[in-house]
Amino acid sequence: MIRRILALVKKEFIHLRNDWWMPAFMLFGGALELLLVGWATSRPMTNLPLMVWDQDKSAASRAVVTALENTGTFALEEQVSDMAAIEYGLDRGQINAAIIIPPDYSAEIASRNGEPHLAVILNGAESIPAKEALRAIEGVTRDIGEQIVIERLGMDPNTFAGFDFSLRVWFNEALSEALYTTPAELGLMLEFTVLLFAALSFSRERELGTLEQLLVMPFSSLEIMIGKSIPVILVGLFDFALMLSMVHLAFKVPVRGSLALLMILALGYLMVELAKGMVISVISRTQHQAFLLVMLIGMSDFMFTGYAAPVEAMPRAAQLFANIVPAHHWLSIVRGILLKGAGMDVLWPHVAALAAIGLVIGTFSWRFVRRNLD
Amino acid sequence: MSLRHIWAITRKEFQHIFRDRSTLFLVLVTPTALLLLMAYALTVDIQNVPIAILDYDRSSLSRAFVQQITAGEDLDLYAQVNTLSDIEELIMHGEIKAALILSPTFSKDLLALNGMPLQVIIDGTEPESGSFAVDHIAWRAEEFINGAVASQIQAMGMQVDSLQPIDLRIRTWFNPSLKPRNDLIPGLISMVLGFPALSVALTLAHEREHGTLEQLMATPIGRADLLIGKMIPYIVVGLVNVIMIPLIAMAWFHIPFNGSFPLFFGLSAIFLFSILSIGIIVGVFMPTQAAALALSFLVIFFPGFFLTGIFFPIAAMPEIMRLESLGLPGTHYAFITRGVFLPGNGLDVLWPYAVMMAGLGFAFTAVAALFFKKKLG
Repeated sequence: MIRRILALVKKEFIHLRNDWWMPAFMLFGGALELLLVGWATSRPMTNLPLMVWDQDKSAASRAVVTALENTGTFALEEQVSDMAAIEYGLDRGQINAAIIIPPDYSAEIASRNGEPHLAVILNGAESIPAKEALRAIEGVTRDIGEQIVIERLGMDPNTFAGFDFSLRVWFNEALSEALYTTPAELGLMLEFTVLLFAALSFSRERELGTLEQLLVMPFSSLEIMIGKSIPVILVGLFDFALMLSMVHLAFKVPVRGSLALLMILALGYLMVELAKGMVISVISRTQHQAFLLVMLIGMSDFMFTGYAAPVEAMPRAAQLFANIVPAHHWLSIVRGILLKGAGMDVLWPHVAALAAIGLVIGTFSWRFVRRNLD
Repeated sequence: MSLRHIWAITRKEFQHIFRDRSTLFLVLVTPTALLLLMAYALTVDIQNVPIAILDYDRSSLSRAFVQQITAGEDLDLYAQVNTLSDIEELIMHGEIKAALILSPTFSKDLLALNGMPLQVIIDGTEPESGSFAVDHIAWRAEEFINGAVASQIQAMGMQVDSLQPIDLRIRTWFNPSLKPRNDLIPGLISMVLGFPALSVALTLAHEREHGTLEQLMATPIGRADLLIGKMIPYIVVGLVNVIMIPLIAMAWFHIPFNGSFPLFFGLSAIFLFSILSIGIIVGVFMPTQAAALALSFLVIFFPGFFLTGIFFPIAAMPEIMRLESLGLPGTHYAFITRGVFLPGNGLDVLWPYAVMMAGLGFAFTAVAALFFKKKLG
């Protein structure tokens, strides 16, 4: 039996070698793209275009502009001198925010009971940068406001120095954006690679008509499935190791926990995804169908990895659904081991869930595929 | 170029699509289904973030502070703990996203205006809820401190109205509540409309893999006609989605559609042409469907999701990536979809983006036709 499985594995690798574009793209292209995307988007938001209309033109108003510049969040557009210019910029999406300093700004600050105000206009057509811009502007006005109060009351300039709470970000002291985003991006890439390879395994042979040949040979369906699975798992593990070492070297994503544990759990996770891919593979008549199904299933799984929205904030039904998504548990494991240095004592609920899902999907997949092959 | 030849190929391709019902269904439904899914999952309003509090002070002031912090829907008091190791345990298990530690001198220091001995710990592995918790803790802490300090200063005999004298008057255009849903859903249209491009890449590779490309080449149909004829059915498929998606966005998600629908439809057709031309290039160069699949994933989907400015603004990307973004049709189209939905932009604003997309489309198609000839000739 082992010899026959080995023969099947060899056959699969010959396929991969003959059509080397596909494995090359998925492995090296994928890793390279992960690097590019990580490099482009794992950074604080800077350079957001901001328009300033300074009607006051005083030392105080210039201080506001300088403080905004110093946050690093903004790229200041040229100063404008009417509302039309701001409207023009907002309509065309050229700016994320505009700030208007009214003519009485410095006078209000100077008077004992003055109430200076600043007008801010945000471009809601891009809500994520708009929120970032607002956050930076609020920070600047808070600091300036404190100084005004101190001067008005004639207090010691350092009075409020102790009033900022001390913030500690555990597991990510340097506040590296890459630590947030790259694990999910890596997870997405890995899942698609494995699903795609698994999904093509039978649909491809069926479409090209070679499945018949395979089935009339003296292999049992179990042997065929194992023979098809081993190359996919090997490719997946290699892909994971490759991408992990890349994000580790390029983005300094640490491996605080046990690497061996991570690789063992990766093997388990890949087997669950493999089982899913096999089901897709036998229900798809063509590779085209297989790919569309992979995209639908893969993207829906990605929604539960915490990339853009935390699962805890989703509707109740979605949260329950997340529990049966393997990628959800896998990402908790990856973040746990890489960033928190967690061990099995912490991760066991996720591992148990993954095992349970794997058992269900695996059994179903095995029976389903066998029925479809026989 | 012959219209008759193009039409012949188009008809043949339509027959392929309609012959297999399950493919037809998947091709038609995938973009809209995916958009619905992302709309639900990616655009949630964060609330009820679980936090823990370690109060060493246990004074009435510190209790009032805790009350204020957890008064809203945004932060949930998961546990009052007694030791730092409890916090470690809870964060390690992911039960809480943030923790507050009030030092024993909390009320004393605050009343003496010495400062606020408060430490905030957040779970740095959680991208969104962590920074959400920090912002909201900061807002509420500031409110509380301003109140406490102001009354303390007044007690010292000084007159003060407010500790935040600058009044920030904020107006948000186009999306007054800054709901991410309102701009992410239009933006993501550019990603899901990449699916027809994949289909066209696959059909070309399919013909090559099955050897029917040879037969097509033996007919008097020109190379460009063949490519254009292959694109048309998938542009039609895409346009069906262009009609469905705004309807769902408006009816189901209540996203305003302030622009002109005919304009949106026309610009979407241009986008489909340009993204399909990338699919055509993939189909021309790749020998098998599997290879075409892998390459379309790399050049159409992954960048279409991450690099077109839907989630991360292009202005903040490194210079080179900004240039690459400009070479993606999706970048221009994502601007157009947001512009048509929210500000209701007209052609006077959107024409440069349309020109860019059309230019990219023609350039890619030309490259494809050129190499198609070489590879077969």
